[in-house]
Amino acid sequence: MKFGFYVIFFLLIIPFQASLLNPLSIAGIKPDLALTLLYFIGLLTGPLEAALVGMSMGLLLDIGSASLIGLTGFTRGLVGLSASLLGRKVLDITSPSNGIFLAVFSLAEGICITLFLQLFYGDLPIFSLVVGRFLPQALYTGLLCVVLLRFIAGKNVLSALKRPAMQEEL
Amino acid sequence: MPGLIAKHKKGFFILFLFILLFWLVTVQVKNGRFSFMEKPVLAVAGFFERIVTGTVNSVASIGNRYVFLMRTVRENERLKEEVDRLRLENAVMNELLTENERLRDTLNFRRLNPLSSVVAQVIGKEMSPTSSTITINKGSSNGIEKDMAVITPSGVVGRVQTVLPALSKVLLLTDPGSTLAVRVQRNREEGLLEGKLVNCALKYVSYYADMQQGDLLVTSGLDGIYPKGLPVATIVRVTKREASAFQTVVAEPVVRFARLEEVLVYKK
Repeated sequence: MKFGFYVIFFLLIIPFQASLLNPLSIAGIKPDLALTLLYFIGLLTGPLEAALVGMSMGLLLDIGSASLIGLTGFTRGLVGLSASLLGRKVLDITSPSNGIFLAVFSLAEGICITLFLQLFYGDLPIFSLVVGRFLPQALYTGLLCVVLLRFIAGKNVLSALKRPAMQEEL
Repeated sequence: MPGLIAKHKKGFFILFLFILLFWLVTVQVKNGRFSFMEKPVLAVAGFFERIVTGTVNSVASIGNRYVFLMRTVRENERLKEEVDRLRLENAVMNELLTENERLRDTLNFRRLNPLSSVVAQVIGKEMSPTSSTITINKGSSNGIEKDMAVITPSGVVGRVQTVLPALSKVLLLTDPGSTLAVRVQRNREEGLLEGKLVNCALKYVSYYADMQQGDLLVTSGLDGIYPKGLPVATIVRVTKREASAFQTVVAEPVVRFARLEEVLVYKK
């Protein structure tokens, strides 16, 4: 079942991110659904699985776009790993505070990407990138996370999925 | 040491993967981006993007058709397409006029051939946070080839990066991998425009070159991709430092990528 979930997840994540969220775009900024789902996966699974899912997702996004292959894989792997480590501390996975954590992860990923690109290409408008693009996107993604959690909180979806893999890894 | 590795096997495995990814990135910075698996991934993603975009558009159009008469909508679409084409022609003609004014003493008026272009719909935008791309619903079966210029009536959008039979991926001007030969329309100073994700920067502009805020950059045609004279970007900031032989020129693309719905692919 889990394998099937990941197959569907990886098949749909690019088209959903690229097409479905366009109507939600505000001034060109749209929430990062892929990151939100990765965060949930991170909370519910162990570090190894979350890091692998993050890396695979990032690699897919890199291949499907024009970025250096491996860059988003690297940052998403870190996000998956961090979310999984955070998941050990979070008592209530449906808490809206996850929106704040996710926004912080999203912003940290943005800063990480900016620093990488600065390192590789140089001469980037760092302030504009972080304040004009990654910060609004982080806040928007955090908001999406809260809305999704509100939507699924009553349906026990998260607790139903919760953590065989994590217990195994621990 | 072997005991330590055995104890933290998973941790070392994750660390190894991170190092591998970092190495992969640095190799591409040196040797250029890999196009490994690009077409299969784009094909699968494009298939679903078509479904998703089609569904979203269908739902939207049902609403529209209840509000407006069907014939009016069709007529509107046709006229919009025609207006777009005319605006493009107008933009090219304006540039031609400027050029003609400059060369009026020679009496050799140049005539541009009407641009041959394909209208394509944008079906996907910016999948990765590290790049700027869009996906369009036309591909090699419509005569589109790699490195064809993608434009709108307002100006340049980017160039075709990957082509499949029924869709293509377009690298936007703002992508860090994008470079484009431009010149300042006012004084014909030339430069190379590079993408910087949120905006663009004009590279290697001499300290003494006359660059001013508000100057319009147009394609120079020197790169062999874009037709000459199309609007590209507007200079928003010029910074000069005594210590540097070059000035820093930041430019904003004239096309608002967030609002892109249809584009024209210029066929060479």
